[in-house]
Amino acid sequence: MAALMSVQGLSVSYQSRGGTATALDGVSLDINENELVSVVGESGCGKSTLALALIGLLPTPPARVLNGAIEFKGTNLLQLGQTRLREYRGTQIAMIFQEPLSSLNPVYKIGDQIAEAIMIKRMRDDGRSTIDSEFMQKTHKVTAPGASRLPRARRKLSAQLKEDTIASLKLVRIPDPDQVIDRYPFELSGGMRQRVMIAMALSQEPALLIADEPTTALDVTTQAQVLKLMKELMNKVKTSVLLITHDLAVACQVADRVAVMYAGDMVETSSVYDLFSKPLHPYTQGLIACTPTGSKRRVDLKPIPGSVLDLRTRTIGCKFVSRCPYAMAHCSEKKPSLIAVENNHWVACYLHGEANGDHTANN
Amino acid sequence: MVKRMETILQTTDLKTYFPIQRGINPFSKTKKFIRAVDGVNMTLWKGTTLAVVGESGCGKTTLARTIALLTKPTSGDVIFDGKSVVKETTDPRAIYKNLQMVFQDPDSSLDPNVRVGDSIGEPLYGLMNWSKESVDAAIQRSLEVVGLSREIAERLPGQLSGGQKQRVAIARAIGPQPKLIILDEPTSALDASVQAQILKLLLELQQEYSLSYMLITHNIAVAEYMSDFMMVMYSGDVVESGQTDELMAKPRHPYTIALISSAPVANPWKRNLLEVDIRGEVPSAINPPSGCKFHPRCPYAEPICSRDRPQLREISPGRLVACHFVEKTA
Repeated sequence: MAALMSVQGLSVSYQSRGGTATALDGVSLDINENELVSVVGESGCGKSTLALALIGLLPTPPARVLNGAIEFKGTNLLQLGQTRLREYRGTQIAMIFQEPLSSLNPVYKIGDQIAEAIMIKRMRDDGRSTIDSEFMQKTHKVTAPGASRLPRARRKLSAQLKEDTIASLKLVRIPDPDQVIDRYPFELSGGMRQRVMIAMALSQEPALLIADEPTTALDVTTQAQVLKLMKELMNKVKTSVLLITHDLAVACQVADRVAVMYAGDMVETSSVYDLFSKPLHPYTQGLIACTPTGSKRRVDLKPIPGSVLDLRTRTIGCKFVSRCPYAMAHCSEKKPSLIAVENNHWVACYLHGEANGDHTANN
Repeated sequence: MVKRMETILQTTDLKTYFPIQRGINPFSKTKKFIRAVDGVNMTLWKGTTLAVVGESGCGKTTLARTIALLTKPTSGDVIFDGKSVVKETTDPRAIYKNLQMVFQDPDSSLDPNVRVGDSIGEPLYGLMNWSKESVDAAIQRSLEVVGLSREIAERLPGQLSGGQKQRVAIARAIGPQPKLIILDEPTSALDASVQAQILKLLLELQQEYSLSYMLITHNIAVAEYMSDFMMVMYSGDVVESGQTDELMAKPRHPYTIALISSAPVANPWKRNLLEVDIRGEVPSAINPPSGCKFHPRCPYAEPICSRDRPQLREISPGRLVACHFVEKTA
């Protein structure tokens, strides 16, 4: 089965006065249909850059895509212009961010913002690129003049659109949705706002939902509710999810497959069960050993010595070599490539697979 | 416990309210309060760690700041090392010799324009009146103890990584050789691999200097790993407290049960998160629900819960729960 989205050898760098930071260094990742893939890594490992690159929202400059391909349903998104990209962004590929308050418009009511998303979806389904008066007439029985202007139209939610808006809020289990549509974002709690974002994203019926640290700003009881909701909706509306998180525990609670990133490299990808039963990369092993599991008190945590290297330093070898307990001489000479050691278990480490280093897949 | 234990810190009915102005009339009679800490009784035994856990807005940081004299309590008392810090203290420096604090964000607790060595030395001059030689020696010793090299003393905080900065903050706290350190979310700003280093360091320091810790955290796994005793707060109230192993093994308050089962566990075969059944969110501290503050979210709530505020009751030795229907969770 061909993957829904396939990232191949993606490299992204950020230009700054202090030098060039390589945020993604030849990252490859496949996302299959109706699959929840979680990208895990510490701050600065490039996981958010990956999310932004996938949806074409990288700030260029300072960011620069050096090489690679992002194939979505067979189309390389990197070769599309901004106009063509908009056919995918927000519709086929939707995204929710860490801080919903900065993604929602503070001066529009919740209902109006969701209604706008629903309207745009209809407009696209209708094969139009703008909402004109003819479209408004047809779909909402709103008459010109002024109906073509979005803000004006938003205020006159037709009964049908209002119903659909309420339905999408019900889908994400917001209590009293008929009242919530008349509230402003600041009147909602963090968990409610994130649900609104999910409702907006899913109203587009996307094939892929990218969630960048969606629950990091939330309390644990709220986080549990939101993650549970995401997982349920994913199966209901048949979408794939790419969950970006720094929390290994969150990933292993909801993910089907986990991809571990370190300093811009994809170091290991496998099913969540394989990753926890037999982690292969020393960094993954370290990450698991230093996460308090809560199962036994004062189990010996094994911290990874040292800290993540500055992304501006140029390296030719494995980036984990300075912290790795198994580091060998050739580890710092040539970067190991991501190879499949078992069925769907990929790792970039010289400890696994003799062939590693003899061939390079992505230069 | 066989060993006779001494208390190092105790609070009695401690309340910290923050007044808030509603509207623009400064003469408005109806004053409202945020009840950040609403009558907390707690005990911290010498040489142990008490973890205070709860979600944001539950009052755990305000409790810590009140104990550390950074916020004035509205009523109630804090007894530290046998003395009331609220009534008897005229000079807080006498307290800070024995009570130090490590904050969540080292970026805001370290002066960006002061070399870290001077930051570590400052309390030694200010509190202990040490001579320059002994302060210099103490700076070197503190740095060594927290696992940093000596050259770091000459650097500015901006030149250090997050983990190094938090080590500096810990070095500054242990400098005056305190009896109690209040750790307010010491690892929340750090990455997983660095968090483990800091937690391990804190445990080693506790062993070596027989320190007492009051650990404020929202992370149940960290609390479980670090603490001997645990106290769960909800909207300004203590809802449950007891020994960590017992409390984690068998939580009794419905909120504690929800909190523990909502915490993601790094084990894909135990997907507790997808089975959690909790509704609603943390209530506002300005207009908290009547009676038991958890009753709108509680699966066991009955009419009495919205009427009477449950008091903390000892259900077994050392185990306190504030719930009208604690037998339902037995």
